[in-house]
Amino acid sequence: MVLGLIGGMAQAQPDIERRLEGLERKMKQLDPSFVSAPEQSVLERLQALESKMDAALAAKPQTPAAALAQAGPGLQAVSVTGDFQKAADTETRLPVAGYMDFHVNNESGDSFRPDFHRFVLLFGHSFSDRIKFWSELELEHSLVEGGEESGELALEQAYLDFLITPRFNLRAGMLLTPVGIVNERHEPPSFNGVERPFVESIIIPTTWRELGFGFTGDLGRGFRYRTYLTSSLDASRFNAEFGIAEGKTSGFDASMRNPAWAGRLEYAGIRRLTMGTSLYSGLAGFNTPGVNPRVTIANADARYSFGRIDLRGLFANTWVSRAGELNRLVRQQTGVNPNVASQMRGYYFEPALHILPRRYRHDLIAFGRYERYNTQQKMPAGYLPLEQFNRSSWVTGITYKPVPDVAFKFDYVFNRNQSAVVSALNGLNLGVGWWF
Amino acid sequence: MVVLMKCLVLMLAASGFLSGQSESERKPDRVISITAERFAFSPSRITLKHGELAELVLTSEDTDHGFRIPSAGIDVAIPPQGWGEARVRFVAKEKGRFVFECSRPCGAGHNLMRGTIEVK
Repeated sequence: MVLGLIGGMAQAQPDIERRLEGLERKMKQLDPSFVSAPEQSVLERLQALESKMDAALAAKPQTPAAALAQAGPGLQAVSVTGDFQKAADTETRLPVAGYMDFHVNNESGDSFRPDFHRFVLLFGHSFSDRIKFWSELELEHSLVEGGEESGELALEQAYLDFLITPRFNLRAGMLLTPVGIVNERHEPPSFNGVERPFVESIIIPTTWRELGFGFTGDLGRGFRYRTYLTSSLDASRFNAEFGIAEGKTSGFDASMRNPAWAGRLEYAGIRRLTMGTSLYSGLAGFNTPGVNPRVTIANADARYSFGRIDLRGLFANTWVSRAGELNRLVRQQTGVNPNVASQMRGYYFEPALHILPRRYRHDLIAFGRYERYNTQQKMPAGYLPLEQFNRSSWVTGITYKPVPDVAFKFDYVFNRNQSAVVSALNGLNLGVGWWF
Repeated sequence: MVVLMKCLVLMLAASGFLSGQSESERKPDRVISITAERFAFSPSRITLKHGELAELVLTSEDTDHGFRIPSAGIDVAIPPQGWGEARVRFVAKEKGRFVFECSRPCGAGHNLMRGTIEVK
């Protein structure tokens, strides 16, 4: 029996050696730095292979194979290839995300004014695969000082997502109102121009956030939606120049007595095309006793890219009911007529051209944007429009991105209005914004 | 004996891994391009047949995103726009619905940047 065993082992020895050589060859394919040593004993060669395999497993997060963890019960990972390592290798990840925005602005006849406009940090946390937290804390204009006119420290977003099904999820907290393009996608490298579009600052307030809750989901075939009930706008802060924009409460001293409803439907079923439409409706009179105007906003927008050309456009219209009564009440309270219109309207169109060929990693974008925005579109009976607030702008400039998340921006703004008395000032803007 | 056991374990592990290698060399049954852009994958719903070898070609239209299939242990970085692509291959071994999501914080809608792979 012993002889048989010895004989069997003797027969197995060349087979083990052959298989060991095969393993060494394959290990060399996996890791070219591996060097086999046929002169060593089987045990030594096995130990070398073993330590190499241990090292490969220990280095799991840094290697392509690392992207593949253990095979799951349903989908078995096979391989990961491509350029994904290049991105990871050249960038150090921080445990937080954020974006920053630094400008130098110059209006005609004025001096250059530098402004570290936004310093924003974003924090998220997953309590589980189905409960996730997201937040955004923003410092505007570099400084917040008690009792002084200075910057702003604001909670821009802070909400919990309860992920139920792809079609239906619950969200609650401080929410970005889902109206327009920029309000929810305002990272500086994601839009052209040093400042956000006027239409998306004045006709649609940005960054517009309110307290509330609602539902979100992906309906399939490229359709997705968000619908929220939120705290309402404050009509006592509406005015002729900025329309409803200064009525956003940002969650401070907000009211849910008459919650507003906001909804957005988006279609992204065709590659590089996104279309969206939003509707907002809510009563805004919690600070104007006896007058409770309803604000309704309707907006449609689209973004499309083909070849080296990007196009984006947006239209928005705002209705304010009982605007005449609101103007009279605010005048009684403050002595100033806010001259709030019963309708406000704005639209813009922006073509942009990526000048450098695709093979360059740097991106240079030339763009032009035409904007028309009138916060005095239709006045209530007894009130005349202030024509200096019937405005249009040509914004033309370039964006240079040495990497996709850093944007150097330059633009010149030609402003016009319909007033024969008050002239609009042009502006020159320089800026750099980044996302990480 | 311990050495022989180790040898056996090593060979089994390697042969399992190498069977994956052969899947990586074979032509996939399906190649699906997925675009990632704040804050959605397009398409966000993928249907596969049971047993198919699928290859996902992942590109971004803006910043870099992540692509994670928690149930399969896959988590890769998708390079930013113009910086290339990531390709992920897997075998749809079982019928069911599997969620994929962005694993790299990318902004306000990051939590909902998700999709599903349905294996029929």
